Amino acid sequence: MAAAESSPLTTHVLNTGDGVPAARMALSLHRLDTNTMIWNMLNVGTTDQDGRCPGLISRDAFTSGTYKLRFETGQYWKSLGQTSFYPYAEVVFTISDPQQRFHIPLIMSRFSYSTYRGS
Amino acid sequence: MSMAGPVSPLSTHVLNTAMGVPGSNMSLSLHRQDPSTEAWSLITTGTTNEDGRCPGLISKQMFVPGVYKMRFETGQYWETIGESSFYPYVEIVFIIKDPGQRYHVPLLLSRFSYSTYRGS
Repeated sequence: MAAAESSPLTTHVLNTGDGVPAARMALSLHRLDTNTMIWNMLNVGTTDQDGRCPGLISRDAFTSGTYKLRFETGQYWKSLGQTSFYPYAEVVFTISDPQQRFHIPLIMSRFSYSTYRGS
Repeated sequence: MSMAGPVSPLSTHVLNTAMGVPGSNMSLSLHRQDPSTEAWSLITTGTTNEDGRCPGLISKQMFVPGVYKMRFETGQYWETIGESSFYPYVEIVFIIKDPGQRYHVPLLLSRFSYSTYRGS
């Protein structure tokens, strides 16, 4: 994962079932190639103790386009010895102005999840 | 699009929380994943009614255990009401272990947020 300058795209995963950050959740960032309509994986990572994953993407790599953040929520619940309704959660979003900062949190329990565009 | 006869064991409800109205006239589709190939098969397509619902999504016979996906054409929906949106579409992937139960997979949506939960 990239070090140094802060990623223009950030996330935060919260386990609302237990009221804690979702630590050690695997996730990946993808961008859609509009010529082939294939997803290219840009980065994989794991959330830290605070449910965050710094260094998702560098400013240079962050171009306009359609992106996907995939959260391995099913694996996460399984590692806590629980089942979940969703095997994973994918959030697909459009970046028109990559100069801005984008925060894509995932607020989730075993049977629900939500997301919003933050900054 | 609705089927005659018994009520679908799987239902949805789209709500436009930004405007406080049902998400009506939104295209959606239901898919099931083939466990061996992991390929998705389309089961049905539909459009939400005035109340943001889409009756007759699937029949009891077809509702077997497996991994399903509901895809909501949210980008198109906002575009037809003259607005842009952060999400081009929303896909909710979920696991059905016990098809004897009723499942409600709603989508609460604004231009810049959405949420879902397992209802009944």
